[in-house]
This record gives sequence, C-alpha cells and structure tokens, in this order.
Amino acid sequence: MARLVLLFAVATLAALALQTMLPYWLPLGPFVPDLVLILAVDLGMRHHSAIAALMAFVMGYAIDAFSGTQIGLNAFMITLVFLLAYELSTQLLVTNVMVGMLAVFMGVLIKDLGSIAISGGFSGLTGNPALMRTLLGQAAVSALLAPAVFVAMARGKKVLGLLATGRREDNSPSRRWLT
Amino acid sequence: MNSSFLWRYRVVLTSGLLLLLSAHMLTTGVRPRDAVARPGEVLLGLLSPVQSSSSHLVEGAHDFWHDYLALVQVQRENQRLRAELAKFQNERARLTELETENRHLSELLELREALGMRAVAANVIGSDATGLSRTLIVGAGRREGLRDGMAVLSNQGVVGKLIAVSPGSSRVLMIDDHNAALDAFDQRSRVRGIVAGVVDDGLTMKYVGRSADVHAGDSVVTSGLDGTFPRGLLIGEVGRVERQGPGLFVNVSVAPAVDFRRLEQVLIVIEPPPRVVAQDQD
Repeated sequence: MARLVLLFAVATLAALALQTMLPYWLPLGPFVPDLVLILAVDLGMRHHSAIAALMAFVMGYAIDAFSGTQIGLNAFMITLVFLLAYELSTQLLVTNVMVGMLAVFMGVLIKDLGSIAISGGFSGLTGNPALMRTLLGQAAVSALLAPAVFVAMARGKKVLGLLATGRREDNSPSRRWLT
Repeated sequence: MNSSFLWRYRVVLTSGLLLLLSAHMLTTGVRPRDAVARPGEVLLGLLSPVQSSSSHLVEGAHDFWHDYLALVQVQRENQRLRAELAKFQNERARLTELETENRHLSELLELREALGMRAVAANVIGSDATGLSRTLIVGAGRREGLRDGMAVLSNQGVVGKLIAVSPGSSRVLMIDDHNAALDAFDQRSRVRGIVAGVVDDGLTMKYVGRSADVHAGDSVVTSGLDGTFPRGLLIGEVGRVERQGPGLFVNVSVAPAVDFRRLEQVLIVIEPPPRVVAQDQD
C-alpha cells in the first residue's frame, strides 16, 4: 500500500506540474487536460480501499493548493468522481480502456459543472453559450489522454511490483479495514 | 455483523466522510492563510522549483528548435557556413530575447516610477491547474516581501491580486476569474461599477444603471476604492452594452487590456495604495 501511495503522490505532483505549465507553453486555450482527475478515476476503478479514497481526497486538496479560491472545492469534486468511478467499476464485469475514457469524460463534466455551481451558484451555468463548448472540449481532451495515463500508471505499478488492476471488492471481514 | 457491514461499505463510508470534510471546509470558508491550509503552501513551495527549472528548460528547447533544427532541414551542404550562421542566429536570438526581456522590465520600471509606490517585478512561472479558474504562479514570494492581497500589474494594465504566498513563489488571482471583482469606473463618464470575471468569457461591469452614460470603446479604470488597486489603472475597454431586457442594470462587457496568456513579467505593488474617497456618480 505504501508503494501505491508513493506512486500516486509522485504522479499527482507530476500531473500538477504539467497542468500548471502546459497552458503557459502550449496554445491549449481553455482545453487543459485534467490529469489529476484521470488519476482519481484510475484509483476508483482499480483500487477499492479506504486508503484509495483518502488518496483521492488528498489529490483534490493538492489541486486546491494551486488553483481556484475555495479550499475544499476540488477535494470535494475529486473525491466524488473517485466514488462514482468506484461505483461504476463495482457494477461492471469488465473495466476496460473505453469504460475508463467514458468515466473520465463524465468525471470532467461533473467536476467542472459542480465546481462552477458550488463556487458561483447555478447562475454561473446559464447565459454563457461558450461554457458548455469549453467543458466538452476539456472533457474530450482529458478522455483522449486517459489511456496514455492508465498505461503509464500500470507500468509504474508493475515496476513497483504492484497489481496493475488492483483488488476487487473483497467482503471478508478478516481483512484489515484499511487495505 | 457490524464489522462485516463496515468492511463491505468501507470505500463508500470513507468517501462519504471525506466528502463531508471537504464540504465542511467549503462551507466554513477556509482561507489560504488558515492553519488547515498550510499543507497547500508547502505544496506550492515544493513545486515552484520544478516549475522554474522546467520553464528555463522549455525556453532552451524552444530556442534550440528554432535556431538549429529548422536550419538543418533547409540546407545540408556548406556545413561550415551553416554552423557559423547558426551560431550568429543563436546569438541574435539570445540578444533578441534579452532585449525583449529588458524592454518588458524597463516598461515595468517606468510603470513603477509612474505609480510612485514600492513594487517588485516577478517572472510568470506557471498557470492554473484547471481550465476554469484563472490563476497564475509567479516566481517571487514572502522572501521578496510579498503578502496576500497585493495588487499585480503589467505594463498593459491590471492583472489581479495575490491570494497565496509561499517563501519562493505566489499565486495570483487574475481579474478575469469568475471569483474576482474590483471597483472601477468609466474614465470618460466617471460611471462606477464592479468589474468581475465571467467563466470563459472575459470581464463584465456590473451594477451600471440603465440610464448610465457608458458606450463601447470607453476605457475602464480602477477607482482605488477597494483598497487593493491604486486609482486610475487601466482594466480594459467597454466592448458591448446591452440595454435590452428587464432589470435595473445594463449588461456591459469589458475587453481586458492585458493579454493574460502572453504574460511573462508582472509588477507586484508591495505598498498599500493611498485611500480614496468615493465621489458622487450618475
């Protein structure tokens, strides 16, 4: 578990560094891929543990340290996306790349719409036709990048000797709660 | 039984607790200087060296690409002349870059002298981690005397204000963020309003009465009444005034004077602006 935490901590720092620097150096406009959210979806779909939920919260909190004005906003939305990805993966027999891309696409939309609604009220969602185009663009860019991030994380887990697919829900009470 | 229930729903229960915790942080309005926000400051400090060095790396890679790789594709013969040409071009590019940087800094210096206030120049080393918020990171912090709430300017106009400061870097909330607002007035007609950011749609001037004398092309400047920005700094130009529809106020869109995506250096005013007394308006 410590290796998994280390891997995601490094990946989150790298994702944050990329997310804060890419828009400055490349003409991405508002279409900045949400790399941390992709990591949260990877966690939710492949790592079913309380520590994984805590990691998602910390990842969101790390975004709060770099962006926006309200501490707790991204922590809330990233934890929510993690929970939705977790629920999705428990309902499906197979969680392949397409499912992951779809989860990332929906996750970005949910996170962005939720963030705007929470920080600016529902009035922020209306009367701005460019907004939906921006959100869809950002969701699409993130979904397209998701497979590459999933592969990179799978390789990272392999290098660290972890199971790339993590562990599915195990209801045995004999296991420790925080595994 | 209980243990089995907790085990079965451990992820959902933990996530629920964490959602409650983050909702609590949101509703109680934890601010960047509160104790619970300290880890954020540490993270900001942790990443700023990475951002600074990669910023230099990208600049180097950019120059390398333009001065060498492009040249190799154009001419394969005459190696000696080409190498010499590349050397001079490299030197010229370096000098041009230095000249541009020098010009930017000179303009900032002129601005500082015009303001007559103490200010610090800083390089922009990163932008926002999300596509929705409008913040950027500058390579100066507490060590340079910066504090939360200080005004950030460029030679084109108002950029924003500091919202988080670590020892070596700081985060700037730009005026086109949807959470930003500042007191301003139309320079021609002296009509006052609040300039605020709109999600992905520039700036808007709020609370302008329907009969107010505001027209497209008017310059919008800071009033100095908010205690953050000195009076008379350019914010932008009125783009569109919509008087149709119900309500007490008109919709005034403002085109920012600053090209936020091309910012390289900014000026941070470290001295609080002089107090300004509000005057009557329309």
